[in-house]
Amino acid sequence: MNEWLDRHMGRLFLAPAVTLILIFSIFPLVASLILAFSRLRLRGGGFTMRWVGFRNFEKQLFGSEQFHLLGTFTTVSILGWIVGLAGTGLLIWWMVRYARTRFHWVGFLGRMITFGIAVGLLWLFCATLLSGNPFGTVGTTLFYVFVGCGIQFLIGTALAFACSQKLRGRTTFRVIFFVPMMVTPIGVGYTFRMLADVTKGPFAGVWQWAGLGDFAWATDPWAARIFITVADSWQWIPFVFIMMLAAFESVPRDLVEAGDLDGASPWQSFREITWPHVMPIAATVMLIRAIEAFKIVDLPNIMTSGGPGIATESVSLQAYYAWRSLDLGQASAVAYILLFVTVVICVSFFNLVVLSRVRAQK
Amino acid sequence: MSSDHAAKTISIREMNKYYGNFHALKGLSLEVEAGEFLVLLGPSGCGKSTALRMIAGLESISSGELLIGDQDVTEVLPKYRDIAMVFQSYALYPHKTVAENIGFPLKMAKVPQAEMDEAVRAAAAQVELDGLLDRLPGQLSGGQRQRVALARAIIRRPAVFLMDEPLSNLDAKLRGNMRAELKHMQNELGITTIYVTHDQIEAMTLAHRVAIMKDGELQQLGTPKEVYSNPANLFVAGFMGSPPMNFVEGEISSGQFRAAGMSLPVTGFADNAAVTIGFRPEDCQVVEAGTGQVDASVYTFEMTGDQSLVTFEYEDRHLVVKMPKDFEIASESRAAIAFDPAEANFFDTASGRRLLPAA
Amino acid sequence: MSTRRPGLFEPRAIGQMAPATKILLYTILIVWAAFVLFPIYWLLITSVKTPAAVNQGPFFLPFIDFEPSLHAWKELFVIDYEDTLRAYMNSIIISLSATALSVLVGSMAAYALSRVDYAPNLITILYFVALLAGVGVAVGIYDVDWMLATAVAVALFFLLARAVGRIYEVRLGNGDILFWIISQRILAPIVVVVPIYMMFQSVRLLDTHLAIILTYAVVNLPIVVWLMYDFFNSIPRDLEESAQIDGATMIGTFREIILPLSRAGLAATTLLVMILSWNEYLLALFLSTTKAQTMPILVAAMNAGERGVLWWTMSVTIVVMIIPVVVLAVILQKYITKGLLVGAVKG
Repeated sequence: MNEWLDRHMGRLFLAPAVTLILIFSIFPLVASLILAFSRLRLRGGGFTMRWVGFRNFEKQLFGSEQFHLLGTFTTVSILGWIVGLAGTGLLIWWMVRYARTRFHWVGFLGRMITFGIAVGLLWLFCATLLSGNPFGTVGTTLFYVFVGCGIQFLIGTALAFACSQKLRGRTTFRVIFFVPMMVTPIGVGYTFRMLADVTKGPFAGVWQWAGLGDFAWATDPWAARIFITVADSWQWIPFVFIMMLAAFESVPRDLVEAGDLDGASPWQSFREITWPHVMPIAATVMLIRAIEAFKIVDLPNIMTSGGPGIATESVSLQAYYAWRSLDLGQASAVAYILLFVTVVICVSFFNLVVLSRVRAQK
Repeated sequence: MSSDHAAKTISIREMNKYYGNFHALKGLSLEVEAGEFLVLLGPSGCGKSTALRMIAGLESISSGELLIGDQDVTEVLPKYRDIAMVFQSYALYPHKTVAENIGFPLKMAKVPQAEMDEAVRAAAAQVELDGLLDRLPGQLSGGQRQRVALARAIIRRPAVFLMDEPLSNLDAKLRGNMRAELKHMQNELGITTIYVTHDQIEAMTLAHRVAIMKDGELQQLGTPKEVYSNPANLFVAGFMGSPPMNFVEGEISSGQFRAAGMSLPVTGFADNAAVTIGFRPEDCQVVEAGTGQVDASVYTFEMTGDQSLVTFEYEDRHLVVKMPKDFEIASESRAAIAFDPAEANFFDTASGRRLLPAA
Repeated sequence: MSTRRPGLFEPRAIGQMAPATKILLYTILIVWAAFVLFPIYWLLITSVKTPAAVNQGPFFLPFIDFEPSLHAWKELFVIDYEDTLRAYMNSIIISLSATALSVLVGSMAAYALSRVDYAPNLITILYFVALLAGVGVAVGIYDVDWMLATAVAVALFFLLARAVGRIYEVRLGNGDILFWIISQRILAPIVVVVPIYMMFQSVRLLDTHLAIILTYAVVNLPIVVWLMYDFFNSIPRDLEESAQIDGATMIGTFREIILPLSRAGLAATTLLVMILSWNEYLLALFLSTTKAQTMPILVAAMNAGERGVLWWTMSVTIVVMIIPVVVLAVILQKYITKGLLVGAVKG
């Protein structure tokens, strides 16, 4: 018995985690996929399901909900055409170059999927934003992911670098900078609503002085989006900060000192020694941050309820609203579209950026 | 704890290890006698550590058999093999005190606290660690850590000791001391020991028998004296001894060994177009040019204190001669190396195997 | 050579920064600290304002601008104390249990993955997923009893798993399992929450602690596995091999050697998971209605429809939510960077 336990302990150690994930992650995932292909009605405690095939997806991608998920694209402007065609050309060149140099069918298939999503999102971008048309929840989510994460990365890294220098009091700054991560996202949302109030908030004076005394930022799409991004950044910069700080502090001191002896200026020393060392970590941190950013739902829900109109609604929020109106099929379909986009973008990033860096260093 | 404290034999039969397609250990067979001190010697990557880890049960045995005593332990988990192991890094638990480290095997065997304390004290006394029992490993010197590792190994009175380069993290002086202590202790306890090292001096001084390995294969097994004076092949000859044996390639024809500027009579060897002669630095002398076996120019001259080393440049290789400490010679000067052809070894250059004269 | 006074842009001594750089760095750090702290400060003073003080416009300094009052605190902790304390207790129980469960199960899995070699067969896994989908279709669309469907699926799996596995052998490795577990984090809660809701509904566990604890534990499992895997990998194998030879079982090694040596990693992971479960909103919204309501739900409840947002009491709830996390973070502070370092550097 003891010996049997010793031999099988490896599996027993892994089993609880796998079981929990199977029950609470994989089974719901499969069930959700089935839901996405069904129409579901709640009826007095129970529910009935009917298989409807791709109709939920059709409605979201091409039907009456297209404006909501993807945006309105009646006309495409000249600029949209130019950028779209140029971008498509670039992507095709990238695919051709890959296929020519080292072809492997797994790599090719993966890149085909990346390519498809990239072209799709590129044209979405050209047909909505560049053509002056409103975009839908996918566009809004990507805005939160790319703009939000970009800002968070730049500021977080800069702060981490500053805090990794030999400065008096840096430990205090570290503790202070970590605080926003501890606040519940709901709290962040409401707090920033308070702060942004043009008549009762702390900056009311500033608003009045600037002649914006009756400006309601929640009614202007871009002001609302930027405001949510600011709140999101306030909350998540600490995460980037703490990870990048750990990265900067892991740079071997003797490397930097050797650089100093070789006559490197601080900037050269940063670019040639510090940055290559922290780059793989930075890529990983950004990947994690992006994964979380795709799920954004609390802040737009609290701060603007997705408004004005659907200007700040993320895909997650759209799915949540669909669930609230008991349209479970639509909710699952939307959630699956989000999952698909997230997986393709994150896996592409992981394979093309993180892994290639790791490989290059080996 | 082992019920009987008698030392056990170890039988390794045709033991193989594969990592994927890599053949790390090639059919090792060894019989280790009870109470014997056997050293596995070889350069890094020769498979000696793999072999030791397979005996310990830390690596699975791809094929072959392993017996400790008369029990087949090929498939047995390490903790049921009645062995103790000392690691190169000592593997002390940094968060446990010296006493807790030493007592760990007994704690795992659920030995009562009082009995354990007694055993810990006895083991610590044996390796002269008294008074350090409450320290953490981080507060000890290298030598002391080494002793803790030893104490942890002996506390259980195992049937077999396995040691993986236990002295290589110590400085030279300490290493000498510990070597002597280790030998003394093994002798006193009489526990079968397999010791892995790449240091031939350790092997020579410690071992009852040495097993020399290369590329996963056993090259020679014998007492230190045997492997030193009768190396089985070029590899063993070159590996043992410091400075190593001098080699000159040449040929044997009609009772003469010939190489560039060198010709000496040899008896009992068949003609062979590719022969390597090997002679040890301590078996030869520096003499006036023209009076020895080889003429060459002096490349460097080194004093080591107890002896002088003269390095000659011969063809495109170096030949070293060990001379008494008061010997002196100028660099670049011409001189000759003299040695007794009867003490030289001859090897087949192609196979590396040693050639023996026909009786 | 005469000594020259170093300029503003030159360091005064070896290993020091130029004064200009120093001033610039301090300015950046102080400005950012202000940006970080001001919202917290505003929360704090709002929590001691009366509704009137909030509504009449911005007041900044207590005792000078406005008279602080414990009005909102009283409302929450004296008048409505039952609701507040229940939510607070719920939050504490749920986040503590979920964190403990998640860290325990996650680090066991991470340890196993970093030390034991696994080789699951891909075909068997696909077979399992197919059965799972079959159960979903049968229960959802053909109204088969879920217990019956599960039982049949389990029986089919164990009966045929070996046979199916022999059809075509593709072995996965530890890396694949690790990637699979970590990739679960990509799932937005919204993707899985509806089935989870229905699942708990069918076993009548909605609005209980257990439902939320389990869900939180699983949601955070990938983080634990990811951080702890790298941490365990950084611990020298010698220690465990030595313990193994000295007679320790895998559990013994894990408890006696591995966990004590991973304190920094465990502390950082625990803190992170704790913060995430403590602050989680969306899943709690789905899974709790009244009895199991957590603090974030209470915060959102202060947005009381017809009266507008009750900023004063909301500030109090947010402040009392922040306090325990700050205390915990201060206690674990010295471990955080050290613990995250390993994960970040190797991740």
